[in-house]
Amino acid sequence: MFSFPKRWWAAVEWIEALVREGAKRVEEIEVYYAAGTSVSADLKQRRVSLCTSSRDCGLCIRTVDKGRIGSSSTNDPDQWRACLDAAIASGSLATPQAWEGLPDPAQIPDADLSFDPSLPVEPDHTRDLLSSLLEGAAKYPDATITSGSAGLATGKVILANSRGIRYSSRQTGISVSLEAISGQSTGYEFDHASFREQVDPRSVGERAAFFASRSAGGEDIVTGGYDIILSPIAYADLLSNVFVPALSGRNVHQGRSRLEGKIGESVTAPGISMFDDPHISRANGSTWWDAEGTPTKRVDFVRDGVLEQFAYDLKTAYRFGKTTTGSAVRGGFTGIPSIGHHNFIVDGKREDITGERAVYVHSVVGAHTANPMSGDFSVEIGNPFWMEAGEFATPIRSAMLAGNVFDLHREIAGLGRGSRAIGSYILPSIRINKQHIIGK
Amino acid sequence: MPGSRYYDLRHVTGQVTHIDIDNGVVESAGTSFFSKAVIRVLGPRGWGILQIDNYIPLPGKFAELLESAGRLAQVTEEPVSLADVSRAVIPVPAVQEDCRDVSIEEKSMLLAEIERAAIHPRVVSRRAGYLERIENVRFSDSSGDEYAYGICRSGFSVMAVASHNGDIQMGYEREHSIHGFNLRHRQETGKKAADIAVALLDAGAVKGGKMRAVLDPELAGVFAHEAVGHASEGDLIHEGNSVLRDMIGKTIGSAHLTIVDDPAIPEFGFEPVDAEGVAVGRTEIIKNGMVNAFLHDRETLAAVGNGIAGHARAMPGEPPLVRMSNTFIESGDATTDEVFAECKNGIFLVGSRGGQVDPGRGIFQFNAEYGYLIERGERTRMVRDVSLSGEILSTLHGIVLCGNERVMHPGYCGKGGQSVPVSDGAPHVLLSEAVVGGSGMD
Repeated sequence: MFSFPKRWWAAVEWIEALVREGAKRVEEIEVYYAAGTSVSADLKQRRVSLCTSSRDCGLCIRTVDKGRIGSSSTNDPDQWRACLDAAIASGSLATPQAWEGLPDPAQIPDADLSFDPSLPVEPDHTRDLLSSLLEGAAKYPDATITSGSAGLATGKVILANSRGIRYSSRQTGISVSLEAISGQSTGYEFDHASFREQVDPRSVGERAAFFASRSAGGEDIVTGGYDIILSPIAYADLLSNVFVPALSGRNVHQGRSRLEGKIGESVTAPGISMFDDPHISRANGSTWWDAEGTPTKRVDFVRDGVLEQFAYDLKTAYRFGKTTTGSAVRGGFTGIPSIGHHNFIVDGKREDITGERAVYVHSVVGAHTANPMSGDFSVEIGNPFWMEAGEFATPIRSAMLAGNVFDLHREIAGLGRGSRAIGSYILPSIRINKQHIIGK
Repeated sequence: MPGSRYYDLRHVTGQVTHIDIDNGVVESAGTSFFSKAVIRVLGPRGWGILQIDNYIPLPGKFAELLESAGRLAQVTEEPVSLADVSRAVIPVPAVQEDCRDVSIEEKSMLLAEIERAAIHPRVVSRRAGYLERIENVRFSDSSGDEYAYGICRSGFSVMAVASHNGDIQMGYEREHSIHGFNLRHRQETGKKAADIAVALLDAGAVKGGKMRAVLDPELAGVFAHEAVGHASEGDLIHEGNSVLRDMIGKTIGSAHLTIVDDPAIPEFGFEPVDAEGVAVGRTEIIKNGMVNAFLHDRETLAAVGNGIAGHARAMPGEPPLVRMSNTFIESGDATTDEVFAECKNGIFLVGSRGGQVDPGRGIFQFNAEYGYLIERGERTRMVRDVSLSGEILSTLHGIVLCGNERVMHPGYCGKGGQSVPVSDGAPHVLLSEAVVGGSGMD
C-alpha cells in the first residue's frame, strides 16, 4: 500500500517494537525519529578558525488514549521504553479532547523532494564554499570581512504510527553567510538550499561586501511618509512574526488572531495570493507528508486579496470541527507537531517596482518586537537606500520604519520580478507606498 | 593526535518539564530527556569541534572522538591561542523549594490558577506555560581540570489577549528563577497580564521622534544588554564587528554611568563556572562613562586583551560563545521621583518585548510593552507600541540620571543559534534625546 524504502527500514526494528509495545498500552501511538550529520566551518575575518561536525538524533513519541494526547522525547533511542512511559504519563495530565484518529497510510510518491544525493557533507567542501564567498566579496575591497560560515547537512526522518504508517524521507541542506564592514557600515548576506547548485556563494559574498561598502556615508532622512520597497529578507521578517501566526487555526480559534472571522473578506491588496505549496521540487520545506503523517497539499490562504483558509493540524482540526490542512510541522528533532507551513509563497502580478523613487529596505532590526496581536511595529532599517530607476542610488544613514503589518498588506502597490527563498518562505520584493519613516 | 594543543569535553544530561494551558485546557504537559556533548580540540592552528547527541562516555571511544575532532581542526587556518586563566567553581545557590519535590499534577493545578486569574470580561484568550529545565553538567579538559554541577531553572509565563471593537491587545508576564519552584501564590501575575491587555485597548499611539524618556528597570536593563553588552563581546571585537573596538579608555557616556556583566551573582543568568571551566567574575564594561573592559573567553582574551575570561556560555551540545549573563546598569543616587521630576515632559517606557542590535553599525532597537506620557513630571496617558532605537556611541551620553533602586529581570538571549538564560537590570534611568518610534501621526 505505502512505499517505504527497505534500506532504511531494516535498521530500525526497535521502532516496530516500540509501536507494538505502545499499541498494547494506549489506543494510538506515533513515533518520529530523525537523525543527521552536518559539517560547518566558520571564518574569523578571512581565515577559517573552526570546523565543526555534528551528529544529531532525536526520538519523539506521541500517544493518544481516550482523547488525551501525551508526548515525550529523548536523544537516546535506546531509552525508548522510558520515553514511552513518560509520554503515557504526560497524556494522563492532558485535558481530553475530541479525537478521530491518527492518519491511515496513503499512497506517497517515492522520490525525496529536497535531497541532493551528490551533496558532499565534507569539511573540505565547506572550505571551498568559504573561499568562493571571499572571492565574491573581493569586488568591494574597502569592505573588511568580519565573519562567515558555510554548512552542509544531510539527514533522514522516519514516521511510524499504530495505524500502519511507515514513512521515511531524506533531506540535505547547504548554507552560506558572510558579514562585512566598512567603517561603521555593515553588510550581511546569506543563502541556503537543498541542492548544491542552487547556492551561489560568490554572489552572496559580493552582496554582503556591496552593502557594507555602499552603505557608508549615508545621508539623513526627514521624518515623513515615503514609498518603500521591502526586500524579501525584510518582508519575511515582518510576515513571519505577525501575519503568518495569525493564519494558524489554533490562534484563530483561541482568540489570538486579528484575522479571526475574516474568511471571505479582503485582507490584502487585490491580486495578492498567499499559499503553501509543499510539493515544489528542490524547495527547502518540500515534503509529501506533514509532521504527523497527513499527505500534504497546496493550501490557499489568500486568493486575489481575499482570505480563504486557515492552517490546521489534526489536534486543532478535531477540536474545532475542521479538517487538517496537512500543516503540522516540528521544531527540531525532538519537537512535538504544531501548526506551521512547508513553503509559504506570496505571489501575484509581477512588475518592475523600482521605477519610481523609493526607500529600499534591505533588512529590519527588531521585527520580533512587533505587536503580534495588533500588528503594530516600529523597527530600525538595516542598509536603507534611496532606490532610483532600479539602482541603489544614495545610502540613508539611519531610519526607523513604523506601521502595521496587517494594514501594510492592504497597501501593497506591486510585487517585484523574481522571488527568493528565506527559510521556509519564497517571496518577492514588495512595494508599498506612503509608509511612515522616522528620521534621525 | 599530533599537533593537538588542548581539548575539552562538556557533557550535559538533563530533562525538561513543560505545561501548556490554553484557555483552561491542558494542551500538553510532560517531561523530555536529553544527553548532549561537545568535544573541542585545538589543533596546530584553530578548533575542531564535534557535537554529539546521545553521548555515552566510553573510555576507548573517547580517543577516537578526539581523533575525529583533530582531523576537523586540520581544515582551519586562523592561529588560535588560549589565555591562561584562573579556575574555580562557586556553589550553585540553594533553592527554597526543589521543583523535583512537587508533582507535575500540583504544578499543573497551580499554573491553572494563575491562568484563571487572567479571566476578565474583555479578555478573549488566556495562555500560561510552565518550563523547568534541569541540567547536569560535566566538564573535563586536557589540563586535568574537571568539574560537575547541577542546576535547575524554572518559571512560568502568562499571556492575556483583550479585544474590543475590532482592536486586539496583549499583556504578557513572565517569572523565571534559579531559586526554586515559583508557582505558588502567583495569581496576581495572571491578573496583571489581563489588566495590562485591557488597559492597552484604550491606550493611544505615540508620535515618533526625539524626546526625553524615562526607562523602567526592565527596559533600561534591556537597553544595557542590547546597546552595550553585545558590542562588548570579545568575539565581535576580535572580528572587528563592533563600534566599541579600539575604544578602551574612551569616554562614551556620562560620568555616573557604570554597566556591568557578572555571571557570579545569583540571578537567572548565573553560572557557577563558565563553559570552558574558567572562574566567573564581574566585568565592568563601562566604568564612570568610560569603556573599561570587554567580555571574553580564553581565545578572545588572548587575541584582544582588556578584560577577563569566564564569559563563555553554551547550550547543551553546542560550542561555547562569548555571552552576557547578568547585565546591569549600576544604581545612581536619585530617587525614582527625582528621575520623573527631572524628565518634566517626555515618555515613560515600561517592560520589554525584546530588542536587537547591529554591533558593527552601532545601531540598536528595542520595544517597550507599553508606556505613559510624562507631563510636568507626572505620568499621564497610557500609550502603546513604543520602541526606542539609537546609536550606541551617542546614546550613552544621553543617560543623564540613574535612580537608586536596581531591579533584575530574567529572560533569554539568542546568538549564533543558541539561546541562553540571562537577566538584565537597572534602576529607573532618564534618557535625554531618545529616538522613540511609534506609528502615531500628526
